[in-house]
Amino acid sequence: MRFFTKKLSSGSERVGSMTGFLKTPSAVVETPTAALLTQGGSVVHLTADVLSRVFSDSKLLWVPLSNSAHLENGLKAQGKGVAQFAGLQEHFTCVTFQNMNEVTPSGHFEVDKVPLWTKHGKKMISADRYMDLMEVFKPDIILAIADSRMSLEEGYKRIAKSVDRTTKMLNTCVERYKVSKELQNSCLVGVVVGCAQSRKLEESLQHFLRHKDILGGVALSGLTDGTEESNDVPIDKLEAIFEKVSNALPKDILHVVEGCWNPAVILTAISYGWDVFDGSYAVKLSNLGHALILNFDVTRDMKSSYLLDLNDECYKDQFVPILESCECLACEKHTRAYIRHLLNTREMLASVLLSIHNLYHFDQMFYHARQHILTNTFEVYKKHIIKQYESYRSLKLEMDIAETEPDHSLQVKKKSKLVEEVTNNNYKVNCNNI
Amino acid sequence: MALTFSVQAECGVTRARAGLMTLPHYDVKTPVFMPVGTQGTMKGLLPEQLEDLDCEIILGNTYHLGNRPGTDVLKKVGGLHKFMAWNRALLTDSGGFQMVSLLKLAEITEEGVKFKSPYDGSEIMLTPEKSIEIQNCIGADIIMQLDDVVQTTFQDNDRIKEATERTSRWLDRCLKAHSRPLEQSIFPIVQGLLNSELRRQSAEEHMRKNVNGFAIGGLSGGEAKDDFWPMVSLGTEVLDTRRPRYLMGVGVAVDLVVCVALGVDMFDCVYPTRTARFGCALVKKGQLNLKQKQYETDLTPIDKDCSCSTCKTYTRAYIHCIVSVETVACHLISVHNIAFQMHLMRTMRENIINGTFVQFVKNFMSEVFPNYNYPTWIINSLKSVGINLCENYCSF
Repeated sequence: MRFFTKKLSSGSERVGSMTGFLKTPSAVVETPTAALLTQGGSVVHLTADVLSRVFSDSKLLWVPLSNSAHLENGLKAQGKGVAQFAGLQEHFTCVTFQNMNEVTPSGHFEVDKVPLWTKHGKKMISADRYMDLMEVFKPDIILAIADSRMSLEEGYKRIAKSVDRTTKMLNTCVERYKVSKELQNSCLVGVVVGCAQSRKLEESLQHFLRHKDILGGVALSGLTDGTEESNDVPIDKLEAIFEKVSNALPKDILHVVEGCWNPAVILTAISYGWDVFDGSYAVKLSNLGHALILNFDVTRDMKSSYLLDLNDECYKDQFVPILESCECLACEKHTRAYIRHLLNTREMLASVLLSIHNLYHFDQMFYHARQHILTNTFEVYKKHIIKQYESYRSLKLEMDIAETEPDHSLQVKKKSKLVEEVTNNNYKVNCNNI
Repeated sequence: MALTFSVQAECGVTRARAGLMTLPHYDVKTPVFMPVGTQGTMKGLLPEQLEDLDCEIILGNTYHLGNRPGTDVLKKVGGLHKFMAWNRALLTDSGGFQMVSLLKLAEITEEGVKFKSPYDGSEIMLTPEKSIEIQNCIGADIIMQLDDVVQTTFQDNDRIKEATERTSRWLDRCLKAHSRPLEQSIFPIVQGLLNSELRRQSAEEHMRKNVNGFAIGGLSGGEAKDDFWPMVSLGTEVLDTRRPRYLMGVGVAVDLVVCVALGVDMFDCVYPTRTARFGCALVKKGQLNLKQKQYETDLTPIDKDCSCSTCKTYTRAYIHCIVSVETVACHLISVHNIAFQMHLMRTMRENIINGTFVQFVKNFMSEVFPNYNYPTWIINSLKSVGINLCENYCSF
């Protein structure tokens, strides 16, 4: 895999492209982009057949080992790597150690091993074992193994240990990578940790730079432990880290941010030159029964357009698509009322339709980001999206307060007024878009 | 006309026939298997996937749909077709079977079925009129009369007699209550459990009604196969050949082959999609339980001769890895299992049209039972319609 930056705009944001994939040399994945999160090698809830109805082009798949390590024996027997094994050979893969969309127990570290929390229990993984698995998974991109799951509130001692362990493991990964025949066409990405302590972050960056001739990219981690609270970091705090790390590293390598980040964080990261995100946010929304309904038209001010909670009874007779102008398979044929019925009856098609919409819509958010970077209007777009996210946040806060209202009828009244505000205007918001 | 049925070809030896059933939403080629989409969805599959699988008609459950989303929503949207974005044919059951299978507290009187709602505990009375009202609202092409359902293995003859006769009385009430006869066809249900006298009586009474097709009910409920097939045979013998006959709740491959030979045109069963959720894939000889360790490194598809999207793309080894963990595994096996059913029905139809149905049945059975250890019920049922399975190996 090779990465080129195509367009550097007036800010730090850039459009780039990943290309030179072994199996499909002509295919290109443009950045900034979100990968599609997989579980057991498959895009969550979608078969290869359905996925091909959603996206006609090749996508980057995010393959966390924590939900796919059990494919090892089958992969060995087949010998062609995880994309082929999972029936997704026209797509590209980035294998990572963990899935930051999941919360896992803390601790359990050993000197040179980190715990992998799988459905089949805890497995202690060393860097050597990790690289053994990479030779079996044969991904296009390898995120080096790291001890990186921690919030920005983490104490100094834990951070110091994580930098130490990550450093040692990166050395092993690099050594193994250099001599591996199987991985010659893969791109090794080093993980930077220690974000909460500037001295430790510095150390992690210095260590990364020692291998800069080998590493094709950097992944920023150690920003969150995966919990809601730790994902809810003030944006300026993250902004400083995005900027600092980006500035300290060569520009021509792939910049990856790991974690289940909301659109506001993602667009902020993009503005500092970060290229690839793990896509788990879209999956999280689908699993909650939520549908993303961002308005991408910067000429229209749509405060209350962000997401729908389709579990809500208010949708039971709304025979309109999730988003009127959306061209995804779910919006073309199906209604809010139907999806709400599927959620209410716990039918699997609910997750399928929500995944189709959210993955498509999330992908569109990146498409529009690239367009705006190319025309030097990214700052306007970023503000436009962040505004939608923030007004949703404050609305939701009001809703949560309404829920604590002791008078039930008043509570229902307040809530329904707020829901109405979200739902009534927005299904047409993107009609004139694109 | 809400339904026209034309027989396109007959086997000549057995009672099997290939037909075309023209319904308001689709022309259905028979014999046909109808997958069951209980709550207005086919277990995780998109309508376009079902179309690609050649599904021409699918089932919905009146009892479930009447509760959720409810008739008010279905009325507003203009029926289940629109609600679930399915443009082909639909059939709904009457809700009576769920009363008995799901609800222990159902009380059946002449008026209807009284039961406690499992959703909110309130008392509900499902009458023949109410069932048809809901089904009119759902708007399926074919709808079922409410029948008085007794467990198939039930022994009390008085109760069976009462249920059979009540079913006929309820049929009259259903037909009277039916408000959309130009768009929907009510099928009466032949009852009588395993009592051939009552069954004959039930079928003969239904024959006198102005209906477009018939269902054979009260079977496939745990009775012995030796008891099962004569009841099917009796049904297709009494019911006239100009109208389609639908055998309820049958979906296992050998049963389908035997019953097509006995003259049945339509089948439904939850089996292909339910067994998929347990990780079982249908193959000619039965099913593969993909959870088993032996598939861990098996790089062949579920069925190398199958052309479904699952078999074209995925290995047994891969599905083994994700089975019972990822919803995708369930979707993949459902696609294959429905494709398997559709392929079997299509093959039978082609053989009927080509005049090769008898040979097909013989070949099919010898593949399923390679040692010619045919169960007696299969030997006897096929013999009754002129296929002698034994002559093959007896002559050796």
